[in-house]
Amino acid sequence: MTLQEQIRANRLRSFVVVFGFVVLLLVLAGIVGLALDVSLGIFALVLALAYGIFALVRSRSLVARLTHAHGIDPEVAKPLRRLVENVSIAAGLAVTPEVRIVDDAAPNAYAAGLRREKSYVGVTTGLLATMPQRELEAVLAHEIAHIRNRDTYLMTVATVFAGVIALVADIGFRSIAYGGGRSRRGGGVVVLVLAIVGFILAPYAALLLRLSLSRRREFLADAGSAEILNDPEAMALALRRLEADPTRVRYADTSTAHLWVESPTDRLETERTGISALSGLFNTHPPIDARVAALEEAGGFRVPEVLPAYEPFGREHGLV
Amino acid sequence: MLWLWILVAAAVLLVLLVVLGYNRLVRLRNEVDTGWANIEVQLQRRADLIPNLVEAVRAYAAHERAVFEEVTRARAALQQAQTPGAAADANEGLSGALGRLFAVAEAYPELRASENFLELQEDLTDTEDKISAARRYYNATVNRFNTAVQSIPWVFVAKPLGFRAREFFSAQEDTAPPQVSFEPAR
Repeated sequence: MTLQEQIRANRLRSFVVVFGFVVLLLVLAGIVGLALDVSLGIFALVLALAYGIFALVRSRSLVARLTHAHGIDPEVAKPLRRLVENVSIAAGLAVTPEVRIVDDAAPNAYAAGLRREKSYVGVTTGLLATMPQRELEAVLAHEIAHIRNRDTYLMTVATVFAGVIALVADIGFRSIAYGGGRSRRGGGVVVLVLAIVGFILAPYAALLLRLSLSRRREFLADAGSAEILNDPEAMALALRRLEADPTRVRYADTSTAHLWVESPTDRLETERTGISALSGLFNTHPPIDARVAALEEAGGFRVPEVLPAYEPFGREHGLV
Repeated sequence: MLWLWILVAAAVLLVLLVVLGYNRLVRLRNEVDTGWANIEVQLQRRADLIPNLVEAVRAYAAHERAVFEEVTRARAALQQAQTPGAAADANEGLSGALGRLFAVAEAYPELRASENFLELQEDLTDTEDKISAARRYYNATVNRFNTAVQSIPWVFVAKPLGFRAREFFSAQEDTAPPQVSFEPAR
């Protein structure tokens, strides 16, 4: 698959996702309308659409606020800026994405933005303090691959729609809980039970769809990074180094988890609940081992047990 | 009657092949053109830095005329290069000339300490990094385009429609880039 074909496939998938979500939303609103009240159904639909449009328009700054990302003094960040420029030239992007900094000790990075020309890459100060230049470049290339493949667009849309579905289901569920159901309709009980099941399951269906999309994309972005830099080993080393670091991003929660290069929440969930067999389904990222193995196979190398200790990029250039 | 249907099917298939092939090849060729434009931007940027650099060195080492002339000539050659291969050769030539210029500069501590010179040197290094980044992208697009042009079934469409394989951006004396591969040597 060439790059353009991959991007086109992504666009088609985006369309399918959007279409699927719209259908799911209409069905949910329909259930609200039938089981409870027609005007409530219309109200939920209008509210959901308004919220969805608002979230899409504001998504760029919304994500920045959620992750506490801020801009940097261009003079101070010149070396970092140059690194991003080089990677985006090698990726063939028309516009170099902006860089934003997240003040957080955990090494991680993400990409956001609906349009490729207006995207940005967020990196934590922890990433700059841990990664040597070669591996930092690989992480940046991973994020830029997300932008190039239009993943950021698709993920933003999917995130917003999942939020909308949850909102509508919530309205329906609360209405039932507070006794809004109408029993005077024929077969009211059956419809009500179906509605309850629907309201409970709908957000999970949306979530699962979102997560499975996100996991596939991580492999593609890893491959993209290897291709952009012609250096699959750098990405594998970077992943191992991310894994070796025990700190987690403070401002990451389930609403932004899928954005980051390494999942900020998965391990936390597993540790908290102790369930790992089933939780695989709810992970936003494939396990690091699988990602490293894919890179090792593609490049025909093995990542050493002990990672080479180079000077981190941020220290070398006095950024952190 | 059956022959007619077979004929119609073959015609439809042929039209489909031409349309799909043309669109695909145009798309790939546009990628190559974009990649080449990216390289040209960086090559121009590099050429633009040269006069300032020469002036900066001349201020401290006015009598090193031979090396200034060499650098100026190499720069002119780069700007006159017509094809990707020629541009890559000229770019290599400029690198060689610049290497000698910096070797000369080594002998003048005041020059090496001057802010202007350091900044120019840094900009030049940055531009060289960017040229190699742009070259990676361009060569990848050329590789994809050439593969498409030369492989079945597009090869039947490419020639009549005027799609020719493109030239890589690599100097003649260039050795192959180091590849990460554990394949046994042939």
